[in-house]
Amino acid sequence: MNKLLSANFTRLKKDVFLKLCIIFMFAIGALLPVLDYHVMITYEFPRYIDESFFSYTSFMVILFSAFCSLFIGTEYSDGTIRNKLIVGHKRMDIYLSNLTACIIAGVIMCIAYLIPYLLTGIPLLGFFIVDNISTIWIFLGCNLVLLIALAAIFTLVSMLNQNKALSAVICILGLFVLLMLGAMIEDGLNQPEYFEDYAYMDPETKELVIEPSTANPYYIRGTQRQIYEFLSDFLPGSQIIRLSAMDAPSPEILAMYSGIIAVATTSLGIFFFGKEDIK
Amino acid sequence: MDYVLTTNALCKNYRHFKALNGFSMHVPKGAIYGFVGKNGAGKTTLIRLICGLQEPTAGDYTLYGINNTDKKIKDSRRRIGAVVETPSIYLNMTAEENLKEQYRILGLPSFADIPELLKLVGLEDTGRKKAKNFSLGMRQRLGIAIALCGDPDFLVLDEPINGLDPQGIIEVRELILKLNRQKQITVLISSHILDELSRLATHYGFIDKGRLVKEISARDLENACRKCIRLEVSDMKVFTRVMDSLRLEYHVLSDTQADIFTKETITRLVLSLAKEGCEVLSLTERDESLESYYVSLIGGTEHE
Repeated sequence: MNKLLSANFTRLKKDVFLKLCIIFMFAIGALLPVLDYHVMITYEFPRYIDESFFSYTSFMVILFSAFCSLFIGTEYSDGTIRNKLIVGHKRMDIYLSNLTACIIAGVIMCIAYLIPYLLTGIPLLGFFIVDNISTIWIFLGCNLVLLIALAAIFTLVSMLNQNKALSAVICILGLFVLLMLGAMIEDGLNQPEYFEDYAYMDPETKELVIEPSTANPYYIRGTQRQIYEFLSDFLPGSQIIRLSAMDAPSPEILAMYSGIIAVATTSLGIFFFGKEDIK
Repeated sequence: MDYVLTTNALCKNYRHFKALNGFSMHVPKGAIYGFVGKNGAGKTTLIRLICGLQEPTAGDYTLYGINNTDKKIKDSRRRIGAVVETPSIYLNMTAEENLKEQYRILGLPSFADIPELLKLVGLEDTGRKKAKNFSLGMRQRLGIAIALCGDPDFLVLDEPINGLDPQGIIEVRELILKLNRQKQITVLISSHILDELSRLATHYGFIDKGRLVKEISARDLENACRKCIRLEVSDMKVFTRVMDSLRLEYHVLSDTQADIFTKETITRLVLSLAKEGCEVLSLTERDESLESYYVSLIGGTEHE
């Protein structure tokens, strides 16, 4: 396993796409606080460093899906996975070493964003305003577990599909499907139960009309709401949206579900990869 | 005889298609084993199985005496180098970087042997050129170099000269011969280019429809394919006495049939036999090449 990890890390160092991702993340990390500062100065609207600190998650995962599928897919397109199997490496070791390399690449992308964000953000916007700084650490930890879960999903797709282009398409499209599903669920859950009462002047009668509060027909109730809430906690697409906005009262539940996804997909992936006929 | 690889009634099914069907072969140590068969006969499937890329549906094989179901098979695999179908190389790396990567995969502590390996395959001057810019022959040789990382005793090459230009074919052929003669590496080489195989192989295995049709040494094959005159005679004892007296090389096939390998005028031959009271009942000239041997072996016109 160490030999495979050593070989994979060398590949990571030389990976042009990873370098481009790092540059992109670095640039975004440096730019976002500047934009926030610009908004704060121009519109005299208070902005805080907390607000965009985790916003990297939503666009980092898109790059990450492409990276994982291309990094692992190259093993199939160049045929080099055969070199590992022929010399007797276990399939499980090959799978786990590729997963580990993808996770490391994801962490590097995150760090590439966070460091410039803090370096430019703290001088411009000030320090975090959360009551307890441990909240930031908890959300960072949850983001890491989510990244591991996504790496596990992308590794599963890429290791079981010997066509690099198809893997990339499945990973990227799959991620967008998850994100859209997450957005729909969050939209459903954020619907207000009632439309508040409001008053307006009738232009014809010139009288003040008071409309009473009415129930929102799109508000989700009962079992359906419980299902939506579970999916919101469980699905990576929802987690991406919620964690990037720091909108999770119990982030540890999200991390637990991500952990379950990571373990389940990796176990399945190792099982099926062990039976796969490699061409 | 020591065998590097033996297979025992190997079967491999892809859904309802039987790629290998009770395939049994024996690759002797030190041999260049020419694995002959048409496209789709099952050559690559066998190579995939012995390289651990796929699992057999039924049957088994042993590598250096270790059965494929034994956990120690992974240790035997470390003694193998293989190029399966296309060379397995990272296209965005140089030749040297590719070899370093394979050294890391093998866990070799030093890269000191890499220049020698590059020289062996004639890629020592490629410098910073990426493998994606290599010619097909260069890629093939780099694939062989990767297969040679870790000093394997057994090299498996699947169609190594496919698509190569004449110069590339010569280079790969000379490399294989050099590896076999200088480093005593056993080579299993699959091909359907029979003329090329006949310049290399010390043993042959003929595969058709997933079955091994014939396994034969190059010497026996040469004897079988040599230009000769096949005679049917009335008295074999007289025939052998006459042949010995004429100092002609011959091979008795049955009580009435024999092959004569030396060129001899027919008149002198028949007169000599007639003089001793041996009648020549029939006489045919035989001139078989590896190709015609292969075609006759697997069914002649059915396969044309």
